[in-house]
Amino acid sequence: MGTPARPPAAERTRPAWGDGAAVLLVVLAAAALFFSLLPPQGNFLTAQVVLNGEVLGEYPLDALEEPVLLPLDGAPWPITLELTPEGVRVLESACPGQDCVHGGWVRRAGGRIICLPNRLVVSLRGSGGASEEFDAVTG
Amino acid sequence: MKHRLFPVVFFILLVLSGCLSAPPSGGGPAAEEGPAVRQFFAMDTLMSVSVYGPQGEAAVQEAWEVLTGLDRLLSRTSPDSEISALNAHAGDGSWVPLSPETAELLSFARQTAEDLPGAFDCTIAPVMDAWGFGGEDRHVPDAAALSARLALVDSGRLSLDLEAPAGRLEVPGMAVDLGAAAKGYAAGLAAQAVLEAGGESALLDLGRNITVLGEGPSGPSWRVAVKDPQDMERHLGVLSMRDQTASTSGGYERYFEENGVRYHHIIDPKTGYPAESGLLSVTVVSENPALADVLSTALFVAGRDEALSLWRSRTDFELVLCGADGVVTVTEGLEFDFRGEDNGYTCQTARR
Repeated sequence: MGTPARPPAAERTRPAWGDGAAVLLVVLAAAALFFSLLPPQGNFLTAQVVLNGEVLGEYPLDALEEPVLLPLDGAPWPITLELTPEGVRVLESACPGQDCVHGGWVRRAGGRIICLPNRLVVSLRGSGGASEEFDAVTG
Repeated sequence: MKHRLFPVVFFILLVLSGCLSAPPSGGGPAAEEGPAVRQFFAMDTLMSVSVYGPQGEAAVQEAWEVLTGLDRLLSRTSPDSEISALNAHAGDGSWVPLSPETAELLSFARQTAEDLPGAFDCTIAPVMDAWGFGGEDRHVPDAAALSARLALVDSGRLSLDLEAPAGRLEVPGMAVDLGAAAKGYAAGLAAQAVLEAGGESALLDLGRNITVLGEGPSGPSWRVAVKDPQDMERHLGVLSMRDQTASTSGGYERYFEENGVRYHHIIDPKTGYPAESGLLSVTVVSENPALADVLSTALFVAGRDEALSLWRSRTDFELVLCGADGVVTVTEGLEFDFRGEDNGYTCQTARR
């Protein structure tokens, strides 16, 4: 008879090198799948600017490398926004009341700036904001 | 080994897909589909109506029609409104025809002034105008001029015929401003329209005056944050609400500065000057949206002691009072997740 035949894989008591490689491959694939499907983390903020019901633009703040001044043409009262990677504010406005200027910086997702005389709404959207913890804000 | 690997691979993928697809916090029925939403300006503020459910679009439309219709009736700055007509005929002896809605709201405002004398009066408009609030030139008025305007503030001289319906201001120069009551009243009628149109759950944000109906998008209740009056990006805490309105008043959003002094827009009808009650903000939660709105202003003027005294005498509202002393007082009927400790606040619970 000579050398006895090797037992089939299902009857082995110890895993072979090939089994270990297969397990490693599966774990790596699973990890890659997990991380590829994770929602994006970090402070990815986008400022949406709406003037009198018309969307003037959406500005990804994390793409900014330095502050940008954005005068809004078409606003009844001249108004300028300042956009930075951290947030947005009304830098100056000729509107009566100046409530939009007094509001200062908005830096979190869910925050917004309103200029009533100009019918302007600037909304911050993105991940990582406190807005994910509640449905609405009073005050 | 090959046969044992299949279950392992299947299990890992199943767990991963389960983890990634699970809703973050339970998820109520409302979360199954997005809401119908409309955002618009009315009543001198930004409004947003969101309605979940298959009738969402129709319900939003109904709410929008109610809110813009009331804006046309109640605006003091629109020359064609019923309030403008009422003010224009002040002192001439004529009865001004009113819609049932305008008459009902005026009656409610007048009753509130009787219930809280000195804390609220819907005929405060002449004094508001003296300060320039609502106009283009905010300034500290001359003391003599202010005194003359203050003499016109008396909702007891607002006559109403609720059957006609019609109204009359008895003294020339008197004027009504419903800015502290109109949004709440409107929220009540809009919420009713949403329900009648088949809306299952809804959020009505009328200038941060929040009314919620039914279940929230992530659970049985809606989570409504109360803004920190000293830091617009932080919150005093989060309310859990269902079929209620939360209305907040404070002097931190509309104000001006003159000679280094800040003057806000909530005028004390006793003095004619911005209220200084020791409160930075008042949040009223009630199943009655009109009550929540008008009380938030009135109790901001009245102060903490009077606010709690009124609360103890009634059962139809709850309070979050933020004091300049750093104390946040929360009445015991609220479910409130206090988050103000990092902002330097302490929280106390008021009990009956």
